[in-house]
Amino acid sequence: MATPLTPSLRARWRLPPGLAWGAGLLVLIVAMAVVGPHLSPYDLDAISLEERLQPPSIQHWLGTDEFGRDVLSRVLHGARSSLLMGFGATAISLLLGVPLGLAAGYYRGRIDEIIMRVIDVMISIPPVILGLLILSVTTPSIGKTMFAVGLVYVPIMTRLTRSVTLEAAAEEFVQAARARGESAAYILFSEILPNAWPAIIIEAGLRVTFAILLGAALSFLGLGVQPPASDWGLMIAEARPFIDSAPWIACAPGVALCVTVIAINLAGDGLREWLDPRLQGRQS
Amino acid sequence: MFAYLVKRLFYVATTVAVMSVLIFWITQVMPGNVAYMILGDFAAPEDIATLEAQLGLNDPAHVQYLRWAGGMLRGDMGMSLSMNQPVSAVLWGAVGRSAILAGISIVLVAALGIWLGVYGGVRRGRLADRIISIGTYINIAIPEFFWAIVVIMLFAGYLNWFPATGYQGIEHGLWAWARHLVLPVFTLVFGLIAHVSRLTRSSVIDVMQSQYIRAARARGLTERRIVREHALRNALLPTVTVLAIDVGVLMGGVVVAETIFSYPGLGRTLIYAIQQMDMPLLQACMMVVTCIYALSNLAADVTYALLNPRIRYGNAADA
Amino acid sequence: MMKTSLLTICLALTLGMTGGHAQAASPKRELVATINSNVNFFYPGRGTTAEEYNFGMLVFNGLVGIAPDLTLRPELAESWTSNEAATEWTFHLRRGVTFHNGKPFTAGDVVHTFKLLADPELASRARSTAEMIDRIDTPDEHTAIFVLKEPYGAWPSMLIERQLKIVPEGVSLEEMAKHPVGTGPFVFESYTPGDRVVVRKNPNYWEAGLPKLDRVTLRIMPEDAAKIAALKAGDVDVLWNVPLESIKALEAEPDIIVDAKATGTWDGIVMNNTQKPFDDVRVRRAVLKALDKAQLVQFALFGHGQPTHTPIPPNSPAFAKSLGFAPDVAGARALLAEAGYPKGFAITLNVPVGRPTRERAAVAIQQMLAPAGIQVKLERVPYSRWGATISGKAPFYMDGYLARPTLDTATYPWYHSSGSWNNRMWHFKSERIDRTLDQARRATSEKEQHELYRTFQRYALEDAPGVVMYSINVATAYRKALKGYETHPYSWMDLRTAYFE
Repeated sequence: MATPLTPSLRARWRLPPGLAWGAGLLVLIVAMAVVGPHLSPYDLDAISLEERLQPPSIQHWLGTDEFGRDVLSRVLHGARSSLLMGFGATAISLLLGVPLGLAAGYYRGRIDEIIMRVIDVMISIPPVILGLLILSVTTPSIGKTMFAVGLVYVPIMTRLTRSVTLEAAAEEFVQAARARGESAAYILFSEILPNAWPAIIIEAGLRVTFAILLGAALSFLGLGVQPPASDWGLMIAEARPFIDSAPWIACAPGVALCVTVIAINLAGDGLREWLDPRLQGRQS
Repeated sequence: MFAYLVKRLFYVATTVAVMSVLIFWITQVMPGNVAYMILGDFAAPEDIATLEAQLGLNDPAHVQYLRWAGGMLRGDMGMSLSMNQPVSAVLWGAVGRSAILAGISIVLVAALGIWLGVYGGVRRGRLADRIISIGTYINIAIPEFFWAIVVIMLFAGYLNWFPATGYQGIEHGLWAWARHLVLPVFTLVFGLIAHVSRLTRSSVIDVMQSQYIRAARARGLTERRIVREHALRNALLPTVTVLAIDVGVLMGGVVVAETIFSYPGLGRTLIYAIQQMDMPLLQACMMVVTCIYALSNLAADVTYALLNPRIRYGNAADA
Repeated sequence: MMKTSLLTICLALTLGMTGGHAQAASPKRELVATINSNVNFFYPGRGTTAEEYNFGMLVFNGLVGIAPDLTLRPELAESWTSNEAATEWTFHLRRGVTFHNGKPFTAGDVVHTFKLLADPELASRARSTAEMIDRIDTPDEHTAIFVLKEPYGAWPSMLIERQLKIVPEGVSLEEMAKHPVGTGPFVFESYTPGDRVVVRKNPNYWEAGLPKLDRVTLRIMPEDAAKIAALKAGDVDVLWNVPLESIKALEAEPDIIVDAKATGTWDGIVMNNTQKPFDDVRVRRAVLKALDKAQLVQFALFGHGQPTHTPIPPNSPAFAKSLGFAPDVAGARALLAEAGYPKGFAITLNVPVGRPTRERAAVAIQQMLAPAGIQVKLERVPYSRWGATISGKAPFYMDGYLARPTLDTATYPWYHSSGSWNNRMWHFKSERIDRTLDQARRATSEKEQHELYRTFQRYALEDAPGVVMYSINVATAYRKALKGYETHPYSWMDLRTAYFE
């Protein structure tokens, strides 16, 4: 039985520890991404012959890379592109996937068939390979990679939206609205969507970390952010020749990536726990 | 069951067909073509034109596609334009090698992942479970390519226990062959094991709390027997499904791992085909990828149906 | 029962291990080297990649060869002479040479080889060389006379080119693509695409006592890290074309020798002379002035190269040593202001994917041009798109070129207004350079020739079609136990005299 959200929300001010920690860490990371590069005494792109490949020291807390650039500044700046990738790609997958799923679940019939067949084709390609194929037709850039990653996750969002739409559409109040002669738009946005969005948001939260990791993998393979931009995946790829002589160049962005993903996962899991009681029986 | 299988196989076939059109369209849309790649950086425009004509690249799109599709249906995969070799020769060798890598990895992922999941789930809340949980939590956050690099740095570079290069044919000795596989397999297993073990754990927990198990306990069966004979069967159902999805994730991982470890398998061939815009080779690789993934989904669904007479979409059964 | 199966397993493992280490006692006679990508074309006339050149070196011979010290050496031709006008070149062919299929080598094979190369359907890179030939006369089985359409004093040095290896008559190109047949020190054995190429010793090779190795395996390993790890672990013996950033680390290894040689291979910045702002020579010169080439050598090549201003190799006697490389940012800004860009301008620099020296140089160039007011945006383009969208079309891009055998072939195609590269690159025209290069071609004495080329280099710096930044060293790394091998400045592997001790 679907119940409106608001009373439960107000009743649940006690946040799960995971959510608190995760969200807190995430806020810290975002803050560092935004403010950090400005606080650094080093120009992000400034190259310096004398300071190449230096290990971490007082002047350079995370050392320097093969161009003499400060690794810490680049890692902080790289947070921007990774976070942008994660949230941007997820937003795109929501923007495209949710309407498709709503249409498929509500209208059924022909529309549903067509949409699901297309989805099936897309799902039958592993994500990395799908990303590669999409990006091979164009000159890569961060915007295009974000779009490609978003496209990769559209099928999953569509499927999920469709299944919650199917469930909601079977409910009595939706039948009632239909009988009253309400327009499809009204039914979708006022009746179905408010009950569907928790599951969608939770799935979207999961997708953010996958999007970040997929974006980093594509940048690693050369199809994402382009040099000399500082993106964590790209930095790891560029650091490979120096992995033995200067491991900090690869490890710093790698660890940053892990910490960010863990933070988002913590926040996401906490969010799920928080919203969970209202989802009993709605597990799909 | 038979009708269901036929219907699913038909879907696989149509998916593969649609895929082939999509791939062909991609090779047409890309600026430049395989002739540029074959003739190299500084080819004269006349030479490129000559080669394009020879390779049939100037024919209208549908003619080229039908030519290729006709060959495929006859069982002829065509020639790899960039490698000047029949596609089948290149492809099946690569598929075989990737199959070894993926096959070993998925067996290990299933065995270890399930074991870890059951071990943790049964001991829920205790130290062992906490350690495993934290471990898998961190594992999910580590991107596979980063892990591969760290592994190479540690085991191949610093400790020098294993070679960092992917492949040594079995004719050079069983031991050498096995040694070369260790690091790539380790990387692939690492990429998937957290997912499988977490899912197994949560479905074990769900099942252990269910009515059915409580009833078995009330009947006085030992914990061990309960787990082995009753809980496992139901808890493994979602794991089986996930393993099928993991085949897809594994293929993505295989692409990355084969690149980093220089392993001459399907993943590397695919990337090469994309870079070279070698349409016949790319089509053949994507066919194989699609078929494997679709068939493994089918296998998972069938296994699920066989293990659980009531076919349901969803997670842990409350039997 | 457990014990016997355990025993069997141990036995199997031990046998497996010893199988791999059987040759620890006597010196190895089989060599494993790494190459970067597939060998797609066995027939040398269609070779375009360094991997194909390496293969060609092992399985084929040319009429003329070139030693690591860049002197010509006789190969399938024992000696050669020309007529006064340098239009007829007579080559006396070696006797007693047989192809791998048993067929004796005769002048007919030479005619066949060049006939194939001249065929436009084949689209061979060496077609322009083959087209310089009017006809080949064969008065007897062991003499070939090249009658050229125009006088060309350096004809023998043209014949060292990688595509000009001699192939046998009577073997079709389809056959060559599957089972290549040549006269070289090694015979083709097998090819697994994506994995390895194997060649074995030619027992009837015409150079007595060579080759010393029984078998050579070329392992295809695109990944630098994997190659280096393989060499360190002893899985491979030779790492061909060491990535420059790894030379230092490899030199530190006690069991590994790194042999680096200077070459004429160069990287450059191409500016399209027909497009704004590069149609103004002052802008081009400003870019040249703003760059610190010595620093570029450090950033891009890790010091394994030398700054230069011309494709003429630095150790050539014609190289103009007096022209310097010092940067002059203030001068660059002044030139830009003169040309109408007092605040500089913004431009995109295209960089090819997968060429690390140029990618690194591009990052440094971006930083070096900024103080002069030029805002550079970097854009990487994969090679699949390069020929179609960048070469000769984009206004500002990086490219690199292999060493050429002669002064003329190193300069004419790029700098002469009718040059073949010129029209696919910077579309450059300078009357005084055209004149100088034409004169140099016809020069009769070496002294005169060198003088003219030095003048050319001075003009080239002033007329600046683009920037020739530096020449790049090539290095091979190999296990200490390998003797009789050195890196060749033409960057192919010559394994005839190599052996293990």
